[in-house]
Amino acid sequence: MTGSLRLELACTIGQVAGGVSRTLKRGRGDTLTGRVILALDKNAISKLAFQRDVVLVSGTNGKTTSTANLTAILQEYAHEGVSTSDSGANMPAGIAAALASKPRNRFAALEVDEMYLPQIFRQTKPKVVVLLNLSRDQLHRTGEVRKVSQLWHDTFATDEVSLVIDRDDPFLEYSAAQAGHVIRVSFGGRRHPDAATCPQCAAILDWSKGDYQCVCGLGAKLPDVRADKRLRGPQRNSTLIVEAARLMGAEINALEAQEITSHSPDRITDFEVKGRKIPTHLAKNPESWREALTQITQQSVILSVNARGIDGRDTSWLWDIDYSSLLGRQVICTGDRKLDVAYRLSVQGIDVALAQDFESAVAATSATEIQAIASYTAFQDLTAQALGISATQGGYA
Amino acid sequence: MKLSIIRLYHDLLGTYGDQGNAEVLIHRAKARDIDVELIEIAPNQIVPRSGNIYLLGGGEDGPQVAALEMLRADGGLNYAAAGGATVFAVCAGFQIIGSSLDSVEGKISGLGLVDADTVYTNAPRSVGELVVQPTRGDLPVLTGFENHQGLTQLGPDMPALGSVLSGTGNGFNRTEGVWHGNVFGTYMHGPALARNPELADTVLQCAVGPMRPFTDSLAQELAAERRHTLTGN
Repeated sequence: MTGSLRLELACTIGQVAGGVSRTLKRGRGDTLTGRVILALDKNAISKLAFQRDVVLVSGTNGKTTSTANLTAILQEYAHEGVSTSDSGANMPAGIAAALASKPRNRFAALEVDEMYLPQIFRQTKPKVVVLLNLSRDQLHRTGEVRKVSQLWHDTFATDEVSLVIDRDDPFLEYSAAQAGHVIRVSFGGRRHPDAATCPQCAAILDWSKGDYQCVCGLGAKLPDVRADKRLRGPQRNSTLIVEAARLMGAEINALEAQEITSHSPDRITDFEVKGRKIPTHLAKNPESWREALTQITQQSVILSVNARGIDGRDTSWLWDIDYSSLLGRQVICTGDRKLDVAYRLSVQGIDVALAQDFESAVAATSATEIQAIASYTAFQDLTAQALGISATQGGYA
Repeated sequence: MKLSIIRLYHDLLGTYGDQGNAEVLIHRAKARDIDVELIEIAPNQIVPRSGNIYLLGGGEDGPQVAALEMLRADGGLNYAAAGGATVFAVCAGFQIIGSSLDSVEGKISGLGLVDADTVYTNAPRSVGELVVQPTRGDLPVLTGFENHQGLTQLGPDMPALGSVLSGTGNGFNRTEGVWHGNVFGTYMHGPALARNPELADTVLQCAVGPMRPFTDSLAQELAAERRHTLTGN
């Protein structure tokens, strides 16, 4: 069998398998499609990406939303579909499935898990890689932030790609330090909560001038793009995405760019539970929790915390967050680790109630306006319920 | 007396959420009407010598060595410990209060508050829930989350905090942590004192002496839920 025949067969069988899985309501099917493709042709990702314009998006927070935004821009520009994953599947199987959808179109915009970025970079030979941010996440799996930064540093020792980074983040500056072409977007400098020490040499970073500087020479560089200091996390990500789209060839004028940035949503989904609509923030690590907590405006708040695989199995990080925006509100905790979060809140003087599951948490309040914050698998479960498919058991998407 | 709790180098030793140990101690001290203050010591600030409880948390390899060198140069923690102050050190913090440890630059000496040597082996990183039968102090079974590469061998006269029921702990002879005089070391995150209220009270009592009982039902429920989930008991 020739290489391309093998690939075509692999993709067809994979897509059938994914379709069957969807029909049986066993999940969205993307990951299964990809697994089958890779099982039948282990070089499928390289082949499917060959001679196409690929852009990769990675970072701790905002990958899925940013990739969706970038896809939308590229679609409008190219007047044709873009290979991408709608479900946030960002490991090799999900990426193979994404590439196999619309395999003959020009663009692919792919969200990539931090740890898989080196492999997917080598396989897809992207034109542009966007590094959104790096902060603590899933310590049991990805290890410490500086290890991810080192991995990327070793990966991007090349001139053959353009990187777009948040120049205020020392972990990203180190990641890009050996790269030939880097677009640095600055948001006016801000202290990184996890970067007390230098990603390169571990000496204490000097943050006294708003920017960082290390004795070893690593320091904030002159920015290529200066953006508004007041932008929040999701909007900062959108600013990077606009730069990436430009590098991919899509012409965006300043007004359109501003439109995209101002409309970039947080990862909020309205779930309907017992006839009540509950805007729910996805928050999976300290940084995204802090971001979500700034958005709390309602009197009643549900927090749903699990500690299954992708959530991070250690819940200690819940203690790194300041919950004072919840003081005086009605807070109901649920999820596998409701006691961990409830006890943490109680030590900060916040009154908490416990509920067995999300539905009971909703039933426990008479308030008409409720907001929720959910950890990754808790959010996935809500999504699955909303779509009428069986809930996940915490496997990687 | 005012109980002063010194949280050391949160910037360097705050990666694993152990800063919650300070909040738990303060909460449980206040519940007994003990006058308590938290003093945050940032890198390069002078470490007070008259504190009552010193807390060190887990951190990454590079920052760990930076913290060790600063504490060595400062001398305040060693001075206070020699005078009987209580020390509660977790993971990377536990390793640096030992006598020696492996680092990227080879074997270096620790602060020597306890006789313990930390080695880096090729064994897979120890990551997961840790369940410990304490050896002293009428404590119930303890639980925490461990996440470390180094393994720690205690000197012959060093009492462990407990013996491992499941997980790795120190990685030698099923021991976990150390409890020597008023100095505690452990591999348990969680944070350890949030998930083990009796251990929190033991640490407090080292500094303030006997205290009246205090039952925090959420803390007890959390400890019991973890124990039950991990041991079935």
